[in-house]
Amino acid sequence: MESAKIDYKNIFYPPGGILIWIVIFLELITFGMALVAMAYSSKEEPEVFHSSRLLLNSTIGAINTLFLIGSGYCMAKAVHYFKVNNLKKASLFLKLTLLGGLLFIGLKGVEYYDKIEAGYTIGYNTFFLFYWMITLFHVIHVLVGMVILVLVFFGICKKGTEANIENIEASAAFWHMCDLIWVLLFPVIYLIF
Amino acid sequence: MKSAKITLGVLILLTLISALFAQQTLSYSAIIILALAGLKFLGISYYFIELIKAHVFWRFIVAAFVFIILAIILVIRY
Repeated sequence: MESAKIDYKNIFYPPGGILIWIVIFLELITFGMALVAMAYSSKEEPEVFHSSRLLLNSTIGAINTLFLIGSGYCMAKAVHYFKVNNLKKASLFLKLTLLGGLLFIGLKGVEYYDKIEAGYTIGYNTFFLFYWMITLFHVIHVLVGMVILVLVFFGICKKGTEANIENIEASAAFWHMCDLIWVLLFPVIYLIF
Repeated sequence: MKSAKITLGVLILLTLISALFAQQTLSYSAIIILALAGLKFLGISYYFIELIKAHVFWRFIVAAFVFIILAIILVIRY
């Protein structure tokens, strides 16, 4: 296993490498613009946005925030243990990270089921158009992040693994990006209108 | 790693405070909720991703991004 030291103070080597940060910023800007568009639309139909926001279950949103924050912490621990060559603990924390992602997806599924059952689908009104598009797009990112983490998990469990810290950090940065996006989505969609 | 543990506690606390403010009908609730979201964003990026150890450019650009997005949303909202 490679254990080369990375000079993080170098501008070209943020944690995970510069390429994953280009991806992260593109994603953050995309979601940011969607949230700005949502806020702009709310000015046109403030009553619709307020009454629709009240139809969302903010408790589920808050619990999902805790799931993602908890899994983000486990991811940080997994990277730490990988750096100190403790692969057993690194894989344990990776499993906990994946569990956090699974719980998030499960609870989101319950929330989506309730909304569809009640008829609040994508065409219900402008608020739900934004709600479905933004949150579903985020869920897709979480699913992709989980696939990446499963691959990392099997990579580090393999005997004589060639996984290197930069790849692990890039995967971790992608997972944390899902946290970062959710931390912005949750208050804007569930709380402020 | 101690800082990650402290960050986790602070993030959970900020989430709970946001949920409490969401129940209030104060006119400035949205400002507080979005400010807390900004702090959570910085907590995750600086201490979980460990951008705190990275070059100042990355710390600045992440802080600038979240400040600009939240400021635009607030300006539109009020």
